[in-house]
Order: sequence, then structure tokens, then C-alpha cells
Amino acid sequence: MSVAQWRVARVTPLGEFAQPARITGTAVRLAAQVFLVVCLWRSLYSQVETSAGLVRDQAVTYAVLAVLALQIRGLDRSASRDTMLQHIQEGTVLYWFVRPIPPRRYYLVRAVGDQLYGFAWVLVGYTICLTAGAVEPPASGSAAAAFAVSALLAQVIMYQLLLAVDLLCFWTLQNNAALTILRFLQNLLSGVIAPLWFFPDWFLTISSVLPFRYTLDVPLSLYIGRSPLSDTPRLLAIQLLWCVLLAGLTRLMWRKAAGVVTVQGG
Amino acid sequence: MDAIIARDLTKTFHTIARRPGFVGGLKSLVAPARIAKTAVDGVSFSVREGELLALLGPNGAGKSTTIKMLTGILVPTSGEVRVAGLEPHRDRERNARTIGAVFGQRTQLWWDLPARDSLAILRDIFDVEAEEYRRRLAEFDDLLGLSEFWDSRIRHLSLGQRVRCDLAAALIHDPKIVFLDEPTIGMDVVVKEQVREFLRHQVEQRGRTVVLTTHDMTEVNRLAERIVLINHGRLFFDGSLTELRRQFGATWQVHVTLADAPADVAVPGLRVLRRDGPRVAFGPGDGATSTHEALRLIIERYAITDLAIEENDLEDVMREAYLHREQMTA
Ligand SMILES: Nc1ncnc2c1ncn2[C@@H]1O[C@H](COP(=O)(O)OP(=O)(O)OP(=O)(O)O)[C@@H](O)[C@H]1O
Ligand SMILES: [Mg+2]
Repeated sequence: MSVAQWRVARVTPLGEFAQPARITGTAVRLAAQVFLVVCLWRSLYSQVETSAGLVRDQAVTYAVLAVLALQIRGLDRSASRDTMLQHIQEGTVLYWFVRPIPPRRYYLVRAVGDQLYGFAWVLVGYTICLTAGAVEPPASGSAAAAFAVSALLAQVIMYQLLLAVDLLCFWTLQNNAALTILRFLQNLLSGVIAPLWFFPDWFLTISSVLPFRYTLDVPLSLYIGRSPLSDTPRLLAIQLLWCVLLAGLTRLMWRKAAGVVTVQGG
Repeated sequence: MDAIIARDLTKTFHTIARRPGFVGGLKSLVAPARIAKTAVDGVSFSVREGELLALLGPNGAGKSTTIKMLTGILVPTSGEVRVAGLEPHRDRERNARTIGAVFGQRTQLWWDLPARDSLAILRDIFDVEAEEYRRRLAEFDDLLGLSEFWDSRIRHLSLGQRVRCDLAAALIHDPKIVFLDEPTIGMDVVVKEQVREFLRHQVEQRGRTVVLTTHDMTEVNRLAERIVLINHGRLFFDGSLTELRRQFGATWQVHVTLADAPADVAVPGLRVLRRDGPRVAFGPGDGATSTHEALRLIIERYAITDLAIEENDLEDVMREAYLHREQMTA
């Protein structure tokens, strides 16, 4: 793949810059969400020192980072008519097969662009929150390093999960229901809705055998120091395993998809 | 040299029949009934380099399906395709560099980007050199008047503007072979003419091979050197416009007003289609008679005071051809 082809990653950011209203909207929504989450968790902790093994600032930091991380958990492109589902339903996906970049590569480059764009939001949001005292810095230097590696792996798992559901469209031609369920599960089981530590034990057990937890809860728990550093190798190993498993699955799905591509009518 | 070769090309789609009602829906779930639909059925033809071929046929004939196989999007159920020596669906990446494609109802441009940004993205995808890109863009602008609207986002373009951008997008990498599935759909007459000019330029000046589908007979008249007709997935005509007219267009009417009205009007070799007092409409009889010949025969026998000749236009020829085919299969 050529260097020029990587420049395709700029499609989403270009589209966003072309519509400043969208950027303002994202900023307002993000600020409101962070503010509400901080208020909620502070008031929950007004009576207790520690809960689920987390002190107040750890819980707030986890929750705020989870909100910021939403920006890199699969940008919704439906307003731009640029989701896999829309391309398959409208038949525009056929152009993916007449370009000198394989669909799988094109999808990857676009996702990288989206996530880098989202990451810019995360960085800005994080800096502001850190300055304002809404989040704490990482528990320690080693926690920061463990977090960085784990967050990267988490992102790869996240990408593979979204891709797998998107690829399902090639067979079902509608994955709205699947996507909605997956989004909810992801948010619930990964800690977006509330830090996983607050859920009952059986819930933690279930979430430990599913991939979702490894997309957010694991890196965040390392960041706030809730997961002991000694646990890091095991956690990273599991993340790596999920990366490999899901990569194998999506690769297989791509191969099959290219064979079944049938474009409706016209 | 043949740029495109299709041999016995066949595509069968398998769909699951939906039975009506709730119980039917359940049945379909448990024991789905698969229906096979052969959209393209043993089509063979070839296109020479630098030729413009119109692939015509009624709705649902299998034109788009054929184009999708020729572009490598669909995998043929059986048969063989060669485009510039490659097997398109097996060698998609290399094939992509030799072909360009426009599917009129669908855009490959990014909805939220200004047209020019979309073209720049395609430049990157196809690795087009900056200088070449500028030159080509200027040429397309010259022929298609793109600069009037290329700073607008695609979502704000009219259909005709959008398709013109799509044409530029399909040719930005200078492909030798171009597939156009209804490229002039929804365009006004002025823009249509502009696009025809553009296509003619691409064929005559740039030597590109073009395969085009359309339902617009004016376009066929102005552009096509060669026509392939398919219906129900089968090819049933391959030749020039003149041959097509000769084969299916031999229907004409000669309307005359006779000076005196004899009781019986008959001309050997011609058929009387209608008679209304002195006004008579003649059509061809059993043998294929030209209007020229018919006139001579009529004038030899009768004195006439008025005369009008009605020859079928291409639309009629097409209707005739499509119907003829229906009868053949029936
Ligand atoms: N993905 C598909 N699944 C099932 N059947 C299909 C599919 N695509 C096309 N067909 C069927 O194949 C036949 C040929 O379709 P095709 O789109 O090639 O026709 P066409 O000649 O392009 O018609 P039009 O002039 O209306 O565009 C039609 O009967 C259509 O219903
Ligand atoms: Mg069609």
C-alpha cells in the first residue's frame, strides 16, 4: 500500500471541518457529559470514603475518561451516509471493488483516520479535565506505561469488534438491530455506563470472558491503579489473545464477503 | 486487439423466497425456499480497443449485472471474462487501475466533502501524480464545467452536477477502459449533450474503450458505433445501428391521398393498413420493401394528391426488437 493511499484517512476530519456546527455540537455535548458525570460521582461519594475498592477521585477519573473515550469508540458516520450498512444498502459499496486498494485496507485506513480524529478530541478533553482537576494523573509512572500499552490493544479489539458487526451486513443486509445490541453491550460490559467494579461478582466474571471489558475497563483500571501492576502481564496477554482471535475472524469474514458481494438491483 | 472479451458469461442469483403472512414467515425461517434467478445467461461478445459499445435492453434485462461482472464486482457463476487481458474478479487491484466505472444512480464521492476534495482523495487512492492530476482536472473542467460547483459538498449538488463529478472521478486515473451504467440518468438536455461530447472526446481523442448502458435512444443514435442487445439475460443482437434498423426497423407507413377513390385499393408487395375514403395508409407486405420502392409502386398505379412518409425512430426500432425477442422466447 502506498503512502498516498494513507491520506484517505483524512476523509472524516475533512468532512467535520467542512461543517463547523458539528464540531461545536461535539464540544458542547462532551462538556455537558463530563460535567454531569463529575457531579454524579462526587455526590455518590459524599457519604462514603471508599466504594468497590475505589476512592472518590479514582471513580471520577474512571468515569470521565470513559466519557472521553466514547470519541474513539467508533464514530457514527450515518449523517455522512458513510457507514458500511448504508454503503451496502445503497449499493455504493460496489465502488470499493473497483479501486486499487482492497476494501479491507480502505476500511482500516478510514477507521484509523476516524480514531486519530477522535483521539485529538480525547487529548484536548483530557488536558482540560486534568487542568480543571476533574481527572487525576495516572496512579504511577509504571501505571501510565501499562495504561498506554493496554489502551492501544483495547483500541485494536474495539476496531475488530466494530468491523465484525459491520461485515455482518454483507450477509444480513441490515445490522441495525445487531449494532444497537452490540453498542449497548459494549457500553455496559466495558465500563462506559459505570465502572465495572461497582457491579456484582458474577457480572465481572461474565465480562471477563467476553472481549468488551478489554476495550476500556482494563486500561482505565490500570490508569487509576485499581488493577495491581503485578496483574498487567496477564491482562495484556488476554488483550493480545483477543486481538489475534478477532483479527482472524474478521479476516475470514472479509474473504467470504468479497465472494458474496451482491449489490442490490439497479 | 480486443479490450474486453466475455465468453458464455452467466450469473445466477440465489435469493430466499419470503412467503406471505406470519406462518409463511416462520416457514421461511425453518425451511427457506431458495429461488434461483439467472440474470445473465450465456452472453458472449467482445469489444475492440477504442470502440464505444452500447449495451441495451429493457428493464431487468441483465445489463447492470453484466457490467458488474465485467468490472470484477460480481463473480460470474460460469463463463469467462477478460478485460485488458485480466480476469477482473481475480485481479481486482490491477484491474482497478485499467478501468473506470460510473453507476449513474450511485455516487462514489464522499457525501460531506466538496467535490474537489473527493477528487483529491481519489487521486491519492490511484496514486496520480500532482502535475498530471492538475492537467486532467483542468481538462475535465473544460469539458464538463465542473468548476461552477466543485467547491460545494456532494450532498448539495443536483443530480446532473453530481454525475458529472462522478464521470471525472472515474477517469481521474486515465483508465483505458470505461464502464458507464446509465451515466446520463436524470440529466437535462443541455447537460446530456455536454456529457455526450465528453464521451466522444474520450473515445476519439483519448482512445478509450467505452461500454455504456442507457435507455436514452438519442444517446445511442449520437454515440454508439456498435450495439449489443440483451433481454432476459440473453444476447440477441450484436451489430451496428444500421444493421439493427435493417433487422427490426423495417416498419414504415406511407400515407397517401388518392386523386380518385377506386373501390378496391391494392398494390402488390404492400399492405393496406387503413383506408378512410381517399386516404390510404400502406405498410410493407411480405417482402422487405423500402419506402423508396413502395412510393414507386404506388405512383405507378394511382394518381395521388398528397403524401406523407412515417419512418420508425429508434425508440420504435427498439420496441420492435424487444417485442420480437419476447415472441422468440414465448
Ligand atoms: N442481487 C440480486 N439478487 C437477486 N436478483 C438480482 C440481483 N441483482 C439483479 N437481480 C435480477 O437480475 C435481473 C437483471 O437485473 P439488472 O440489474 O442486471 O437489469 P438491468 O438490465 O440493469 O435493468 P435496468 O434497465 O432496470 O437497470 C433482474 O431481474 C433483477 O431482478
Ligand atoms: Mg441497470
